Amino acid sequence: MSQDEQRGPSPRPVARLRLVAAAVLLVLVGAAVIVVALTHQRHAPQPPASAAGTPAASSAPGIPAGSGAAGKTRTAPAPAVAPLPRATPVHLDVPAIGVSSDLLQLGLNPDHTLEVPPLSRDSKAGWYRGSPTPGELGPSVFLGHVDSAEYGAGVFFRLGKLRPGDTVTVRRTDHTAATFRVTRVASYPKNRFPTLEVYGNTDDAELRLITCGGAFDSSARSYLNNIVVYASLVGSRAG
Amino acid sequence: MRKAPFLAASSVALGIGLLAMPGIASADTGNSYQAQLAPLNHSTASGTFMLTLNGSQATITEHVDGLAATFGGKPYPHVQHIHIGAQGNCPTASADKDGDGVVSTTEGAGNYGGIGTTLSTSGDTSPAAGTTLTVAPSGASFDYKRTITLDDKTLAALKGGTGVVVVHGLDPATLSAKAQAAKSDLVPALPLAATSPALCGALTTSQMSMPSGAAATGGGSTAGLQDEGLIAGGAALVAAGAVAGGLALRRRSSTAR
Repeated sequence: MSQDEQRGPSPRPVARLRLVAAAVLLVLVGAAVIVVALTHQRHAPQPPASAAGTPAASSAPGIPAGSGAAGKTRTAPAPAVAPLPRATPVHLDVPAIGVSSDLLQLGLNPDHTLEVPPLSRDSKAGWYRGSPTPGELGPSVFLGHVDSAEYGAGVFFRLGKLRPGDTVTVRRTDHTAATFRVTRVASYPKNRFPTLEVYGNTDDAELRLITCGGAFDSSARSYLNNIVVYASLVGSRAG
Repeated sequence: MRKAPFLAASSVALGIGLLAMPGIASADTGNSYQAQLAPLNHSTASGTFMLTLNGSQATITEHVDGLAATFGGKPYPHVQHIHIGAQGNCPTASADKDGDGVVSTTEGAGNYGGIGTTLSTSGDTSPAAGTTLTVAPSGASFDYKRTITLDDKTLAALKGGTGVVVVHGLDPATLSAKAQAAKSDLVPALPLAATSPALCGALTTSQMSMPSGAAATGGGSTAGLQDEGLIAGGAALVAAGAVAGGLALRRRSSTAR
């Protein structure tokens, strides 16, 4: 020991101390990073179980899952409002879930499935141009991503949190803002998607907001469900 | 150029005028038609029917549930057609003229007309294949998906709102004794139950160009474990710390020697 100290006076114990300190620091920082990562896991909200599955079940009034606003979760019959003239939508606002998105126009893929918005950092919602414009008679269809593998949460990440009574406003090229009220929120397995119920004719002006939900099939890189929000026109104003 | 605002205004007016018409398809892929299939003749079946036209090519997607399941121990064949040339609607029980409790195919014809197109599973789709049981979809429930060419008469009926989808084939057990014993009005070799309507739905123009099924609106970044990079980085830091600690201990033991 004395020989060592004579050869190299003090650097070694100091270096050792530094190394130990560095080791402790690395372990602490590493552990902190892991804790931060694990506490920042985000998962898209899903509609209540009562909204899942069959059309019959989804149209039944839902039992509120621990929410105070019992009346809001019931299927709210929207008053019939006369449809608006045709006008292309430009902007979508869903205040209850913090959505404010300019709109893309979407068509159909060659296999007749709906085209979806491109995956990008600035996730936008899109209107299917083969459907009625919002406010026109019939179901006007809007799509948004719940998330993307590269960019994280998408514009409709919280769509499953909407409940009957929440409002959706669409600004249109004729400078009107059409307001819709959510009537129900449903989750359908993609392999049993009730096409006619979602896209079929309606007696009033309605909206369909669609995103993905349910469990994620990582081998198919796809969610197993679609979340569909149904809303009916309740009014419009210049805007 | 000075005319432009006027043209724009008149096209807006035209747009408003068109609005009054049901189901304008602003579609890039042609017109869609749809029918909710409702039970006839004490059947408890139900179904949905969608048809998208691209020229004279019709892509049909149909789902039915609750039909008669078996016939003579085999899956029950349900012949089905687009009927044309009458009122374009479905009969009620009052169409049962002979009072046997069954609205036969012939008795319902005043409402939905004759066969325009046979919705067969393969081959001929003309009225001639109307009662060919071997190419009829079968069983209590089925999904029918086929792209076929429609003739001018059926196309005209669709556009005129007089096309009606009829699915045939009743469970004999649900009929009166008299009807159970009766022969088919169409094919005398068959019982009345085999060819009588079980489901009926008038085809209407869809308000949109119908997409098929679900939408792929998720990439999966918020499914399962997220921030894997961050977690891996944290783990690397912990590992580096462990290595550094190990080194420090080794030095101490070597200096202690």
